[in-house]
Amino acid sequence: MLNAARLHIVGRRVLQAIPVVVLSTFIVFGLLKLVPGDVAVTLAGDNASDQRIAEIRELYGLNQPFLLQYGSWLAKAVQGDLSNSLVSNEAVLTSIQRCLPHTLLIVTLALLTALLIGVPLGIAAATKPGSWIDSVVMAIASLGVAVPNFWLGMLLVAFFSLQLNWLPATGAVAFTKDPWASLSHAILPAVALASGGIAEVARQLRSSLVEILSSQQVRTLHAKGLPPSSILWRHGLKNVSVNLLTVISLLANRMLAATVVVEAVFAIPGMGGLIVNAAMHRDFPVVQGVVFTMVLIVVSLNLLTDILYSVLDPRIAA
Amino acid sequence: MRILDLGSRTLRRRDILALIGGGAAAAAVGLPALAQEPKKGGVLKVAAPANPSSLDPATGGAGSDHSILWTIYDTLVEWDYDTLKPRPGMAKWSYPNPTTMVIDITPGIQFHDGTAMDAEAVKFNLDRNRSDQRSNIKSDLASIESIEVTSPLQVTLKLKSPDTSLPAILSDRAGMMVSPTNIKALGNETDRKPVGAGPWKFVRWNDNEIIVVARHENYWRKGRPYLDGIEFNIITENATALRSVVAGQNDMAFQLPARLKPVIERAKDLTMVSSPTLYCIQVYFNYARAPLDNLKVRQAINFAFDRDTFVKAALSGLGESARMTLPSSHWAFNKDVAGTYPHDPEKAKKLLAEAGYKDGLELTIGGYTDQDSVRRGEVIQDQLGKVGIRLKFTRGTIAEISAQFFAQEKKFDLLVSAWTGRPDPSMTYGLGFDKGAYYNAGRTADPELSKLILESRVSEDLAKRAEVFARIQRITVEQALSAPLAFQFELDALSSKVKGFKPNLLGKPKFEYISLA
Repeated sequence: MLNAARLHIVGRRVLQAIPVVVLSTFIVFGLLKLVPGDVAVTLAGDNASDQRIAEIRELYGLNQPFLLQYGSWLAKAVQGDLSNSLVSNEAVLTSIQRCLPHTLLIVTLALLTALLIGVPLGIAAATKPGSWIDSVVMAIASLGVAVPNFWLGMLLVAFFSLQLNWLPATGAVAFTKDPWASLSHAILPAVALASGGIAEVARQLRSSLVEILSSQQVRTLHAKGLPPSSILWRHGLKNVSVNLLTVISLLANRMLAATVVVEAVFAIPGMGGLIVNAAMHRDFPVVQGVVFTMVLIVVSLNLLTDILYSVLDPRIAA
Repeated sequence: MRILDLGSRTLRRRDILALIGGGAAAAAVGLPALAQEPKKGGVLKVAAPANPSSLDPATGGAGSDHSILWTIYDTLVEWDYDTLKPRPGMAKWSYPNPTTMVIDITPGIQFHDGTAMDAEAVKFNLDRNRSDQRSNIKSDLASIESIEVTSPLQVTLKLKSPDTSLPAILSDRAGMMVSPTNIKALGNETDRKPVGAGPWKFVRWNDNEIIVVARHENYWRKGRPYLDGIEFNIITENATALRSVVAGQNDMAFQLPARLKPVIERAKDLTMVSSPTLYCIQVYFNYARAPLDNLKVRQAINFAFDRDTFVKAALSGLGESARMTLPSSHWAFNKDVAGTYPHDPEKAKKLLAEAGYKDGLELTIGGYTDQDSVRRGEVIQDQLGKVGIRLKFTRGTIAEISAQFFAQEKKFDLLVSAWTGRPDPSMTYGLGFDKGAYYNAGRTADPELSKLILESRVSEDLAKRAEVFARIQRITVEQALSAPLAFQFELDALSSKVKGFKPNLLGKPKFEYISLA
């Protein structure tokens, strides 16, 4: 899959990612400094006084010029040191190493759920456009987009955890520690997160499949007597795979962001909770660390998508 | 020291417990007469509302840290659950003269690492708390001139001025003793690897996820603690925290908002505990500038509030109307000024007209974005609107809005927030109303008030101190320096297997008497 030409492209894209990472962390750092409130007030605590807040600014270097603060953060970050939380003193890298797997597990499960349910629904609707199946699928899809995932999450907890006692209502377990417990904790949040994704996959797949199946080319294939199943799988789905890949890639990015809410509903100690808590206290090393990691993930996902594009359809150059 | 008769107040408190939580709650809180010998063992799982700011008492800052800190650290002085009256903890205290305080330490106490909790350790801690550059509690101990070790188990504090608030201060962060050996070995890292002399020792802390503590086998109070350990699962979303208890994943959730009361009532096998606290929801004024520099405007706002309705509408009835910054069950409550501002919209309008605002006025106010704060804000807006005061709200996170109101920006006329309470009332008035105090947005104060705050720390006699606080309260109430609205009750949900939990007036749970059935 990775020939010399593609390797060259990958190398170029990795280099292009560097300014993206730097720029995004710079912008976020700037925004954190622009909005009112500062971490020195949080650090001074309940007995805050103007004098103590000034002392803390001095002690933590918070009164240094903006560029100097950002520069010293970046200088450490490129050496692999994401600093420590200003509030709790935990190493940011440690927090991320612990939180990221929880978030990735939910997003991966949610994506799989979206595909496993969304693809058959989309196919069913596309092969009989205008039928009752199509109407039902489209109705489900509209509902899936309209229902907020935190609300669905609470309904799922009420039914599957509190009523039936089948699955845990809150928390998370590391996959490496106990895979089964880890999955049982992740199922409900993943389903809540997947609801919009199922709808998206079904709708997108339906519309692009309908378009292809009603094209001149397919009509010719029918005329030649090719069986409908063969037309659907070999010509229909193969052609829409690039569209589907785009949907998956966009979904993955969106789900990473949506975990903020779902993690709060299920009390999952993931990246969403980490950044929200840090942003509330203006704990910029933590915010920066999370943004840095998320940008790296998104850039890698996009790169992977581009490579897969060129594999699925050689006419598209990565 | 004279002990005030608190019988009637205690009874009232029990009445409230029985009324709200039913008989089960009164039994669950383990009134001494009903107490049986608690069962030993088991790990209590608690849904904790916030990640601690630090596990080093000197460097932390958040009020929500205490419940976790108290498991690891014992304090030199403790307090009475119902009244917050100081009582001996790891040490007893005495004042041979007004500027000398002697601390006598109980023999045989050890830190978790085996270091002796003796006079040297106490001196080390107090010196560190009042001088270390990372210490957030230097100002609490500002009245200390010097600390001497006068015997292996005795330290003597020489004070710059009389300060009888020190026992209460030593029941807070400043009195939590950390192992000197650990501090010397780890320095700044101790906030994540704490060693104290409390009933449980530290095991693990994952930010925003979990804190685990396990029994300290050599704990100085024989037979305690009852629990083998405690797991604090950090869940910042209140409704989620409660769901975790309903689902049986946690045994207890505390500091829940009043709106969740019906959920607890509906759930099976849960005990609800609700109890008075010092947490005072109030409107802060910036009275250093117009129009709040006008006494009549401040008084008008106070007359405009219908506090009983506020408690019903904003706290689902789980609270007490506030007439000053201390609740009626507090030992320093001054009932003579409690009736100063009855709900009187006509009087409010008249005062506004006299102040030159016949057609009403518009004020800017800061508030927070969470559901409960928004609800409070709406009630306030409605009540003030009825007398012609139009509020222009700006909402944001606590860090954002409180910095804009209290720090340099001075952005709003008013702030709707809360005063979380302190073990000693002189801390409440000193931090909230004194000249230059951070929580006094205008930084100005009546010289008489500053004088009285100092005077409130002179006598050891609580009755005499209460007299001084009565004068302080007269000034803050008559000058309408803020608009206290309501004391929020603590609301906790406990699984039926949790025994012996006793709420306290500070509203921050201690776990020392808890056992599992």
